[in-house]
Amino acid sequence: MTGSTHAHADAPHHPVFVGKVREQLDALFPKYPTKQACLLPALWMVQEARGWISPAAIAEVAEVLGLTPAYVRGVATFYTMYHLHPVGRHFIQVCGTSPCHLCGSDEVLKAILGATGCGELGATSADGRFTVVEVECLGACGFATPVLIDDDFHDSVTPERVAGILARYP
Amino acid sequence: MSDLVNVTIDGVQISVPKGTPIIEAAKQAGVLVPHYCYHPSLPSPAVCRMCLVEVEKAPKLVPACVTTVADGNVIHVNNDKSKRARESVLEFLLINHPLDCPICDQAGECELQDYTFQEGRAGTRYSDYAKRYNPVEDFGPDVLYVANRCILCTRCVRFMDNVAGDAVLNVSERGDRAFIGIDPDHLLDHPWAGNVVDLCPVGSLISKDFLHKARAWDLDKTASVCTGCSQGCNTMIDTRDDVVVRLRPRPNLDVNRHFICDEGRADYRWMNRGDRIEAPLVRDGAKLTPTDWDHAVERLGALAKTARRVVILASGRASTESLGFVRRMVDGATVTAAIKVPLGPEAPLAGVPNLALRKERVPNLAGAGLLGYGAEWPAAVAAVKGADLVVVLDAVLDDADVAALAGAAAVVVIGTVDDDRLAGATLILPSTNVAEENGTFVNRDHRVQRYFQAKPAPGLARPAWWIAAEATHAARGLAAPATAAEAFAALGAMVPALAGLSYADLGHTGRVVSPTTAGAAR
Repeated sequence: MTGSTHAHADAPHHPVFVGKVREQLDALFPKYPTKQACLLPALWMVQEARGWISPAAIAEVAEVLGLTPAYVRGVATFYTMYHLHPVGRHFIQVCGTSPCHLCGSDEVLKAILGATGCGELGATSADGRFTVVEVECLGACGFATPVLIDDDFHDSVTPERVAGILARYP
Repeated sequence: MSDLVNVTIDGVQISVPKGTPIIEAAKQAGVLVPHYCYHPSLPSPAVCRMCLVEVEKAPKLVPACVTTVADGNVIHVNNDKSKRARESVLEFLLINHPLDCPICDQAGECELQDYTFQEGRAGTRYSDYAKRYNPVEDFGPDVLYVANRCILCTRCVRFMDNVAGDAVLNVSERGDRAFIGIDPDHLLDHPWAGNVVDLCPVGSLISKDFLHKARAWDLDKTASVCTGCSQGCNTMIDTRDDVVVRLRPRPNLDVNRHFICDEGRADYRWMNRGDRIEAPLVRDGAKLTPTDWDHAVERLGALAKTARRVVILASGRASTESLGFVRRMVDGATVTAAIKVPLGPEAPLAGVPNLALRKERVPNLAGAGLLGYGAEWPAAVAAVKGADLVVVLDAVLDDADVAALAGAAAVVVIGTVDDDRLAGATLILPSTNVAEENGTFVNRDHRVQRYFQAKPAPGLARPAWWIAAEATHAARGLAAPATAAEAFAALGAMVPALAGLSYADLGHTGRVVSPTTAGAAR
């Protein structure tokens, strides 16, 4: 997700699986018994490259793996970590499970929503920089509140630290 | 027999072939295992968990649809443990299923309704919670998806993927948000897509054509054969107050399994046409006069007896019986007989061998062939010029065909629908259509199949075989059959392939005859 650019839903689709990305995918094929088995990694590659998985990208993945768009769509919608709508350049996940909640994750979330300008969960800030969601357990209950920004893990986040952390993500 | 295993199902001991799923073995033991996702014409995913049954010595309940029988299995479908499992599954399914049976087309033939009535809980434990809501979606030409009623058995997804080979449906999302999704760039417009409506065990996939048209319990069902093409798919004619309201497939594993194509499914409105010939009309000088059958068949018999050159222009929808007796009526003359065969594109169902909407869009092409009717329509129309008698047997004529009729000395129309263009005929005799008579068609593989009368004939209309046989009786004294069964039995004298066959031999799924040898010898 790092370095992803904000994409609009109506932008024309340029193929993802060309050049390096295509080579990455081709390198995966021998590791699995079928091309179908590469569906999840292929979807990750799309998300890595584009930030989200558009209907046109779904059609491309289907074409590349010899599947039907309907099947690929079914798989992509099953997993919550694939974005089927455009998200901000940086994707922020805040833990809201019981221990973090008790340690004040609500305040952290509120601070992040305010500082990013997102306003509400799932929305993208007007400048296209951030999207914030609340997630269940990030596996760091001893370091409440953990926040995952793109692939970076920040533990023991407090409302006071939010501005400093966000500044690192232009 | 080493490939048979002995099992006991609800106390009934049976022997079934090794590899039989428990659910099919139970059927043979006369026990229905309630199920949703299982369908004999589809692969089984075991997702609905409804068919869980107890097998003695097995650690837990097993899904009967994918578990094959083993020798010595003692299986309990209707004991407390299995019933409790089903009650729980039903409770799960009903958490989000709306109680809109009063406005649901499936009510009365709904497997969720039936099983809940049989063994579900009397009340809900979820009255405090709102149900999931999704809007109705338009899937394609004849299919609506009512997501709220869906129990996610995935029969439709598997049909489109594994049988139709056009995988446009999927299961989208997961958990209680899951629904059947459709590829946004496609419609459910495969030529066989309508089958998902029949496959759906609940009222989730419904037919637009049948939407709110009738309640299932008001329908009368009659076994029939599709008239759409030479495949001869077995159908069920559903009538309400003697009006045909829908056609559905009737299982025949050798012909159409559980399916019919959309074109055949939609091809019923003509059966209800109101512009029918209702009384025999005979020509007295310049005008046609309505009369009774005694007089009409006498006139027909006299015409048929004296004619030397005869042309029969028949419909491919005419029954084997009618084609046979009309042909016999003019025995002794020089006869040119043909049926009109409209052509259309072939549309196969990928997953079922030898099943397609065929190019030849008539149901009785092979039957006509057995009885000496050709398919060379233009040649038969050309032969009309100078003929003593032309018999039009319910054929749909175009203007050129009608114009050619002027070249014949006499024209007899045995037909269903009133046609002003044929007002110059000598006799116009009302006959019954496929929904109004008993008869047989012979499909392209020479399977002779019966169809049954679904509604009464209008006015004085009679089956064409009856009209022809009575005329022959009047003119030549040959015995006339009183019933379609007798008419069929008598066909053996005309066609060796049908010799010795009776309606009882054909049953509900028909019988394949060899076009060259006698049927009874098989």
